[in-house]
Amino acid sequence: MSVILECNALSKRFGSTLALDNFSLRLERGKIVGLLGPNGSGKTTLIKIINGLLVPNAGGITIAGMAPGVETKRIVSYLPEKTYLPDWMKVSDTIRFFKDFYEDFDEKRAYDMLHRLNLDPSKRLKSLSKGTKEKVQLILVMSRRADLYCLDEPIGGVDPAARDYILNTIITNYDENATIIISTHLIADIENILDEAVFIKAGRLVLHAPVDEIHEKEGKSIDTLFREVFRC
Amino acid sequence: MMQWELNTEKPVYLQLVEQIQAKIIAGVYKPGDKLPSVRDLAAQAMVNPNTMQRAMTELERDGLVHTNRTAGRFITSDEELIRQLKEKYITEIVRDFLDKMKQLGLGRDDIISYLNKLTENSN
Amino acid sequence: MLGKLIKHEFNATARIFLPLYLIMLLLSLINRVMFSIDNLSKPLKTIRNFSIAMYVLSILAAIVVTFVIMILRFYRNLLSDEGYLMFTLPVKPSQHIISKLIVSMIWNIGTLAVVALSLLAMLGTRDNLESLKEILDGLLYGLRLGFGDKYGLVIAEYAILLLVGTVMQILMIYASIAIGHLFTEHRVIGSFAAYIGINTIVQMISTIIMLIWTNIELSMLNYSPYYSELNEWESSISILEAVPSKVFPFSIIFTIILSVVYYIVTNYIFKKKLNLN
Repeated sequence: MSVILECNALSKRFGSTLALDNFSLRLERGKIVGLLGPNGSGKTTLIKIINGLLVPNAGGITIAGMAPGVETKRIVSYLPEKTYLPDWMKVSDTIRFFKDFYEDFDEKRAYDMLHRLNLDPSKRLKSLSKGTKEKVQLILVMSRRADLYCLDEPIGGVDPAARDYILNTIITNYDENATIIISTHLIADIENILDEAVFIKAGRLVLHAPVDEIHEKEGKSIDTLFREVFRC
Repeated sequence: MMQWELNTEKPVYLQLVEQIQAKIIAGVYKPGDKLPSVRDLAAQAMVNPNTMQRAMTELERDGLVHTNRTAGRFITSDEELIRQLKEKYITEIVRDFLDKMKQLGLGRDDIISYLNKLTENSN
Repeated sequence: MLGKLIKHEFNATARIFLPLYLIMLLLSLINRVMFSIDNLSKPLKTIRNFSIAMYVLSILAAIVVTFVIMILRFYRNLLSDEGYLMFTLPVKPSQHIISKLIVSMIWNIGTLAVVALSLLAMLGTRDNLESLKEILDGLLYGLRLGFGDKYGLVIAEYAILLLVGTVMQILMIYASIAIGHLFTEHRVIGSFAAYIGINTIVQMISTIIMLIWTNIELSMLNYSPYYSELNEWESSISILEAVPSKVFPFSIIFTIILSVVYYIVTNYIFKKKLNLN
């Protein structure tokens, strides 16, 4: 198993607050990893650093052995919390856009998923609800054959049906050599799909272990353990 | 599509094994049926594909499921094996039930009269 | 990848510019027809006046839109939520700046060309073209009188200066927006402040350079042993001669240096200091 992500003593400061504090983590290929922590614990900061949207103040990071840059952006597929697609585009425009810039983009897969969702590709994003826009983004992101997927709060604030759709899409579309990082504070919802759990608290790594091991050692669910670790 | 009920008390793969066994016993999956792919099953049950794979390995070890390298994964055609599974499965449930009754201090006759009463009502 | 960025940038902006250009040209043609009719009836006169007004308005709109779109595309596409999409594409930050700059330049030139074209379409009668030619000839004559056989060089240098000046102005706005992005809050106000700040600094530097330069030139004249009434005339000649040999080349170089500085600042901020909200 080769390493897909390696963070070495990462620190990121915003003014007087330390968003990441000496954070080290090593992830292997072929895992679904939960990046778990309450709001403001540094999840998004870490994901932004992986995607080259932030530069750390100290420490090192490599993705498949490379520092964040053009080459890593080719192999990392990122779903931010934001709705980032330009409103004036048609759904089909966004697909062409992804196809143009990402060599690993599978157009057919994207259209299949849109079809299953009963979504007309000639519709403009402006005319879609926020929930549907988020689904389009998820379809685009999961239609890439990436090595590393970073999904930032993909199930925050969605109804159970949408949540099931999202988790289903994730499970069906990732392949065995890829690793998926899912950041969330809603652990119970995704616990069963995780291989590994990473707990992050105030920018520090609290725990990184296989989910099975946590079950066996602690004899409790990740959700229960999470509530204990992060009790106020 | 069958419903999958998962809780957090037991390891997930064991729950999956039990539920697939239950589906075989109930005839949802018939002898010789082809199973969906691990990924599809995982997506249905909303579990990690590796967990589903582990459940499959478990089922294969018991001989309930076998893999054909080219054609996929099948439920066993060995009806005797399924019958044995059914017996074992039911025996376990009844034994659990009897243990509980015993804890409550109920004797054989009490249990039978309860069973009669309840089954009459439900008919 | 730069080509793809330019293509998408072009697509994103063409949907605004092309209809605008089309309206401008249509209005100019309508006006031309109106102009060609003698003795317009009263209602037609009203229509003509209205369409002239609309035409003038469309020119103003095109100029404003060219400017606003340049700013908006840079800010919204790169530094608002859409930045999450753009900055995770496998391209270098510098390619974002260059693609935006190139497409902006295309629309700048495009707007100028379409305005000229529409004027020509509207007013380009034989008589008008003749008088236009006369005006241009007069201009050329004046240039030749002032600069002698260097008038061609003056025109070329002026054209280059206009071009690099536009590039510099755009890059200055980009740099201001990028500097505004360094603030955690009130980024728009920060951008304005940065723009005013840069402007002040550049004004100061160029004033200082001008002062030093004119001092040197003047002192050379003053200490000339042949200083006389005659030399007064010669000095004005030498100032005119300085235009193609010194003033324009220096302005062009200064503008290019400024452009490079703005580009480097913007690129540095994108690379090291990006912090999308």
